Amino acid sequence: MKHARVLFNGSELAVTVEENGQLKSKADGQLINEADVQWLCPVENPGTIFALGLNYADHARELAFEPPKEPLVFLKGTNTLTGHKQNAYRPDNIEFQHYECELVAVIGKEGKNISREDAMDYVAGYTVCNDFAIRDYLENYYRPNLRVKSRDSLLPIGPYVIDKEDVGDISDLRVTTHVNGELTQDGTTKDIIFDVPFLVEYLSKIMTLKPGDMIATGTPEGLKDMQPGDKVVCEIEKIGALETYIVSEQEFYGDKY
Amino acid sequence: MTDNPIVKGKLVCVALNDADQFEAMQAEFNEAPYKSAPTQPVLYFKPHNTWSTEGAEVEWAADADSMVVGASLAVVFGKECCRVSQEEALDYVGGYTLVHDFSLPEKSYYRPDIKGKCLDGSAPIGGAVAAASDVADPQSLSVVTKVNGEIVNDMPVARTVRGVAELISTISYIMTLQPGDVIAVAFPGNRAPVNKGDKVTSEIAGVVSLNNQLGQ
Repeated sequence: MKHARVLFNGSELAVTVEENGQLKSKADGQLINEADVQWLCPVENPGTIFALGLNYADHARELAFEPPKEPLVFLKGTNTLTGHKQNAYRPDNIEFQHYECELVAVIGKEGKNISREDAMDYVAGYTVCNDFAIRDYLENYYRPNLRVKSRDSLLPIGPYVIDKEDVGDISDLRVTTHVNGELTQDGTTKDIIFDVPFLVEYLSKIMTLKPGDMIATGTPEGLKDMQPGDKVVCEIEKIGALETYIVSEQEFYGDKY
Repeated sequence: MTDNPIVKGKLVCVALNDADQFEAMQAEFNEAPYKSAPTQPVLYFKPHNTWSTEGAEVEWAADADSMVVGASLAVVFGKECCRVSQEEALDYVGGYTLVHDFSLPEKSYYRPDIKGKCLDGSAPIGGAVAAASDVADPQSLSVVTKVNGEIVNDMPVARTVRGVAELISTISYIMTLQPGDVIAVAFPGNRAPVNKGDKVTSEIAGVVSLNNQLGQ
C-alpha cells in the first residue's frame, strides 16, 4: 500500500494512492483526484532525518573520494522537507546546486542495538527523496555542513511511503533523475556501499531509532547544476517518482525575501 | 530518555564559537583536513532522541572510555523566524534556558559527529525558561558549570566569535526556525571531562540552572 499526506480543501489528509492514481481518504474512504490536492511530506511526524554521503561506489569516484570505510552520516532539519510536485529554491549568487536522488527507508518501530538480521523488522517502508546540495557552501567543518544540507525546501520527499512488503528486494533497483525530460543520473542501488540493514544496525548501536525517523541512503553518480525553471524528477524503480520545480530564492520566499 | 517540554522541533548547537578556542586553533585550522578557518558558524543538530530534562540521569555511552560536557545559553524561539536581520533577531526569542551537551570528546570537527553527539538523553534542556522580557542583554550573561561542586567552566556569552543576535540572523537565512526550536549559542571550547556518577550543574546566576547526573 502507498501512504501519502495531502492538503485537500485546506485540511491535512492521510490518503492511500490507488492503482489508478486516485487518492483515497483513510478517514472516510472518499476518492479524491490528484489535481485537487497539494502533496505533503508523506511521513506525518518526521523524526530524525539521516542522510548518507558518498554511499555509492560510483559517486564516491565521481567526487574523487576513496569509498568510505565507515558510513558518512549527517542529519537534516525537518525545515528541509517538502512534498511531491512542490517548489525547491536555488539560492542567489551560487555556482553549483545539484539534486541527489535517494532511496529512503522509513523507520516504523522503536529500537536500539538492532542486529542486521532483525533490521528490516524496524523499517515500515520506502520513499524517494531529492537531497539537494549547494556545493559553494561546503566547508571542512562537520562537512557536509548545515548551510549546504539543511536549507528550507531542499529535501523534497515522496510522493508516498510504500510498504516494504510491496517492494521486496531493494538490492538492485534502478535510480534515475531526469531534468527537463533529459536523463542525467542513472544508477542502481546495487552500488550502495552500506545497505539499509547495515545502517539500521550501525545507527541503532549509537542511538535509539524511532517511528518517523528516516534514512536517506545516498546517491549514485551524475551531478548536474540546477536553475530556476528546471523540473527535476527523481525516480526509484518499484518505489516511485518524485517531481520538483526549481524556483529562485525571491520567488520561494516571496514577502519574506 | 525523557521527552522535553521546551524543545519541539530542532535543537541546533554552535561549535567553535568560544573566541579563546577559536584563536588557539588558528594553526590547526590551516592544516588538513580543514585547510582554512571556518568562515561561517559551525553548526550541528542534537536530534530528538538526545533531548532530556532537568534532573534526568544521563546514560553513560556504551563502551566509551571518556565523556565530556559543555553547557550553553540557549535561545528558545517564541515565533517563526525566517530571514531576520541582526537588529530584529532578539524579537523572535521567547525565552532563554540552558543546554547540557554530553558527548564523546570532540576529537575532530571535520565530519558530522554522529557517534559523539547523538547519544540517547545527551541533551538536557532547562530547567526553566526565563522569559525574554526578563533578560535585557543575553550577551551580558555567563554560564558557570560545576562537576561535583567544583567549577570546571565559566563561560561569558560575550566571549564568543559570534553573538546571539548575529547567530539567529545567520541561521534564519539557512533554515526557518519555528516556535519551540532551540539554538545553543555559546559552549566553552574546553569541554569538561566527566566520569560515571558525576553530578553536573550549570547556572546562569539569577536566571536558570540545570542539574544532571551521569549514570553508571
